[in-house]
Amino acid sequence: MRNTNLILRAATGVALLGIGILVLVLVSGPAALPIVVQAQAEEGDTLYVYVYSSFVEWGPAAFVEQEFERRTGVDVQFVATGASREMLARLLTERDAGGTPADVFMGELNDVPKAKQFDLFEPLSVEDVPNLQFVPRELQVDPENTLIPYEHGFITLVYDTQALSAEELPRAFPDLLDGRFREALLVQDPRTSSVGHAFLFWTIYNFGELFPQYWERLLPNVLSVFPGWSAAYEAFQAGEAPIVVSFSTDACFDERYQPFFLEGQAYRTVFGAGVVKGTDNPSLAREFIDFLLSLEVQEKLPTTEFMFPANAQAELPEEWQRCAKVPPAPAVLPLSAVAENDDRWLQLWAETVVGR
Amino acid sequence: MSVRALFCFFRCKFMNLRRTAFYAALLGAPLAFLGLFFYYPLLSVLREGLPLVPDALARPYVRRVLLFTVEQALWSTLASVALGFPLAYLLTRYEFPGKRWVKSLVMVPFVLPAITVALGFILLWGRNGYVNQMLMALLGLEEPPIKLLYSLGAIVLAHAFYNAPLIARVVNAAWEGLDPQYEESARALGAPPSRVFWTVTLPQLLPSLMSAMTLVFIFTFLSFPIVLTLGGARFSTLEVEIYTQAKALFNRPQAAALALVGLGFSLLFVYAYLKLGGVFARELTLQRRARTRPLFPSGREALRPHRLMIWAFLVVSALLLAGPLLAVLVDSFLVSTPEGKRLGLEGYRFLLRRQYEPRIGDPPLQAVLNSLRFGLGAVAIALPVGLAVAFGVTRLRVPGRRLLDALLMAPIATSSVILGLALLQAYRQPPLALSGTAWAVIVAHAVIVYPFVVRAVAPLLLRLDRSLVEAARSLGASRLRAFWDVERPWLVPGLVVGALFAFALSLGETSATLMLARPGLKTMPVAVYELLSGRRGLEAASALSVGMIAISALAFLALERLGERGLRGR
Repeated sequence: MRNTNLILRAATGVALLGIGILVLVLVSGPAALPIVVQAQAEEGDTLYVYVYSSFVEWGPAAFVEQEFERRTGVDVQFVATGASREMLARLLTERDAGGTPADVFMGELNDVPKAKQFDLFEPLSVEDVPNLQFVPRELQVDPENTLIPYEHGFITLVYDTQALSAEELPRAFPDLLDGRFREALLVQDPRTSSVGHAFLFWTIYNFGELFPQYWERLLPNVLSVFPGWSAAYEAFQAGEAPIVVSFSTDACFDERYQPFFLEGQAYRTVFGAGVVKGTDNPSLAREFIDFLLSLEVQEKLPTTEFMFPANAQAELPEEWQRCAKVPPAPAVLPLSAVAENDDRWLQLWAETVVGR
Repeated sequence: MSVRALFCFFRCKFMNLRRTAFYAALLGAPLAFLGLFFYYPLLSVLREGLPLVPDALARPYVRRVLLFTVEQALWSTLASVALGFPLAYLLTRYEFPGKRWVKSLVMVPFVLPAITVALGFILLWGRNGYVNQMLMALLGLEEPPIKLLYSLGAIVLAHAFYNAPLIARVVNAAWEGLDPQYEESARALGAPPSRVFWTVTLPQLLPSLMSAMTLVFIFTFLSFPIVLTLGGARFSTLEVEIYTQAKALFNRPQAAALALVGLGFSLLFVYAYLKLGGVFARELTLQRRARTRPLFPSGREALRPHRLMIWAFLVVSALLLAGPLLAVLVDSFLVSTPEGKRLGLEGYRFLLRRQYEPRIGDPPLQAVLNSLRFGLGAVAIALPVGLAVAFGVTRLRVPGRRLLDALLMAPIATSSVILGLALLQAYRQPPLALSGTAWAVIVAHAVIVYPFVVRAVAPLLLRLDRSLVEAARSLGASRLRAFWDVERPWLVPGLVVGALFAFALSLGETSATLMLARPGLKTMPVAVYELLSGRRGLEAASALSVGMIAISALAFLALERLGERGLRGR
C-alpha cells in the first residue's frame, strides 16, 4: 500500500511537472525555457553554404572548402540535404522561423523567380564579383544576377546504343509520338526533379500553352514518370526502356549511353551562387562566389560534376571534345515567363498526367 | 443498505478514483513529452492550413488523388495480410534451422530506402529483369511476358514487400502467446481444423492483426517514393501533392491543408479500428506454449496436401520478399561496361576508396554507427513512453479515451514532408533549439516511432485478465511489483516486437533526419540517398544497400536476443 502511494505520488509529480512545462511553453512562447542547446552559437565565424546535394557528393566541394579555408581562415560548412529547390524551401522555412545560418546559396537559376518572390538574395554585379566579367551574357539569365552563374549543362534525350541504332532516333518532337517508340521513354516528374522540370520547360519552349496536348499524346510512349533522375537512370541502365531524359555529357562516363538532340535543341540548365539577404558576412560571401568562378575551381567542374564551366576562359578536358555534346540551338525560356507561369504550368502538367 | 455495503460503496468509489488518477498520471508524463516535442511543432505548421481545408477538398483534382490514395492503401493492406499472415503461422507453428535468422531477416525490408527497394523490383520484375529473362529463355518468347511494373499491381506488391513483415511479426507475437488449451478442447470436441481456426484461433488473433493492419494502412496511405518510382506520376498520392505544394510551389498553407486532410483520414481509420477492436478483445489467461512441428519433414509427410500448400507459399513468399533483396545483392557485384555487365567488386571498392572530407560527409562506418546510436536512443525513449501510453489508454476508463488513443497515433499518420518542415522550424528556436545536435535526431525519432510500441503492446494488455493483477495486489504486492511479476512477462513478446519495429523505423527514417542532422550526423539511408543524388554512384549505392541489409539484420538479431533475455529477466 505504501509503495503504491509512493509511485502514485511520484507519477503525479512527474506528470504535473511535465504538463506545467508544456503549459508554460505554450503560453509564453519561445524563450520561456532554457532547454536550449546552443548549436548555432558559432554561426558568426563560419560561412554556411546551402547547395544541392550532388555538388557535395560529386562536385569539387572538398577542394573548394579546403582551399577557401586556407586562403581566408574562415570555416566553410556545406549544408546539402536535397535538390536545389528543396534547399531553397529549407532556407525559406528557416528564415520564417527566425533566421537561417545560410550565407551563400548555390542552385538552379530556374529557382530564382521563387527566391525573388520571397526576397531571399542580394542583387550582385561585377563590382561585387570581379570574375563575373568572364561569364558569357547568354548564361546570365537573371538580369539582376541574384544568382551568379558558375556552371551550366544541357538536358536532352539519351539513348542506349545496344537497344537503338542512330538511324532509328527521333529527330523532332513529333517523331517522338511515333508508335515505334511505344513505352520507350523514361522521364522525370517536374514536381520533384529539376531534370524533369527542365524537360517540361523544353516542351513548353516548343509548344507554348499547347504543351498539355503534346504531353497527352506523348504519354503512351512514356513507360513511366520517375520521381528523380537517379531512379529513371537506374531503370534505363537495367534495360527497361531505350531512351531517358538526362544530360548531354552522359557519354563521358559511359559511352554505351549517347545523347541526341530534337530539332537541334537541348534545354539549358544554369547553376548559380548568390548572397543570402541578412547574412552577417556579405563580403566573405561575395569573395566565396568569386572564388567559385576562378579557373582553379572552374576547371574541376567537368571531371567531377560533368557540367560545363561558366567562366569562358576555363579549358575543357581533352576527351570532352568527343564525349560532351553541345546543341546547335540551346533552348531556354526567359526567366520572366518562368516567374509568371511556372506554378500554373506545374498544376496543368499534373492534371494532364496524374490518373491517366 | 447495510453499513458494510455503504462502506464498500465509498471505498470502491475512492479506489476507482485513485485508479483513474494513477493512470491519468501515468499518461500525463509522456503526454507532456509528446506535446512539447511533437504536437507543439506540428500544430504551429498545421494551423496555417486549417482555413484552406474546405477549398482543398472542393478541388476535383484533389478528390481524385485522395480517392486513389485510399484505394491503393486498402489493396496494399490486404496484400500485406495475404503475405504476412501465413508467414506468421509458419513462424509460430513450425520449427526449422535458422529460424531466429529468418525472423530477423524478415524485418529488413522495413528499413530499406524506397530507392533500393524500387531498384530491386526493377531488377527482378522489370522487362529486362531476372524473372522475364528466365521466362523468355525457358519458353522461347520474343517479348517479356510479365508486365508488372508501372501499374497499381507493382505499387501494391512493393507495399506488401515492405509491410508483410510487420503483419507477420505482430501476429506471430500474439500467436505465440495463445494458450493451446482452447484449440485442443475444440479439437477434442470434434471440430475440424479449419473450424478451430475460424472460431477459436482467429478471434483471439484479431486484436493484434487489426492493430498491425491499421499501421500498414497508415504507412501505405502516406507512401510517396515507392508509389512514384514503381507506379509513376500517373499514380500520384496525396503525399506527392503535399510535397508539390510545400517544396515545389512554396505554398505551405496549402500543403498544411492537404496534410490535415490526410491526417484526418488516417486518424479516422485508427479511431474506427479502436472502436471495432474493443469488440474482439477478450480477456484470457494462459500459460502453456503450443508445440511446434518441423517445417521440413522427411519422407511421405512432405507430400501431404497441407505440406504442398506450405511449399507453394514458401516459394511465392521467397520470390516476393527475398527476391528483390537478392537482386540488389547480385547487382552490387556487377559492373556496367560498354559491352554489358560483368562481375566485379568495383562497387564495394568505390565505397571504401572514397575520400571523405570530415565536415562534408561522413565515412560509411560513421553513418553506420550514427544509425545504430540514433536507433537505440530512440528506442530507449520510445519504450517507456509507449508503455505508459499503452497502459493509460487501455486502463483508463474515461469518456474520449479512444479519441485520445487515436490522436496519439498522429506521429506516424502525419505527412513526412510536413513533419520535416515542422521539426526544422521548431527545433531551430527556443524552447527546442536542438537543431544540429544528435539529440534533435534522437528525440524526433523517438516521437515518430513510439506509436509502434503502443500498437504492439495495447492489444496484449487488453487481453490480459485484470483479475490476475488484482489477485497479486490482494496478496500484498505493490503496483510496481504486480506489473513486474504479472504484466511484464505477458507483455514481453509485444515489447520486443514494438522495440524492434521502432528501431527499424528509426534506421529507415530519412525525411526528419535530413532536416535535423548537420553534416557529421548522417545515417545509412541518408548516405544511400546522397550517393544516388550524384551521377555516378549507382553501383556503389547497391553495395551500400547490401551493407545496410547485413547490418540491420545483425542489429535485429542482437536486439531481439538481448531484448528477450533482458525483459524476461533471465
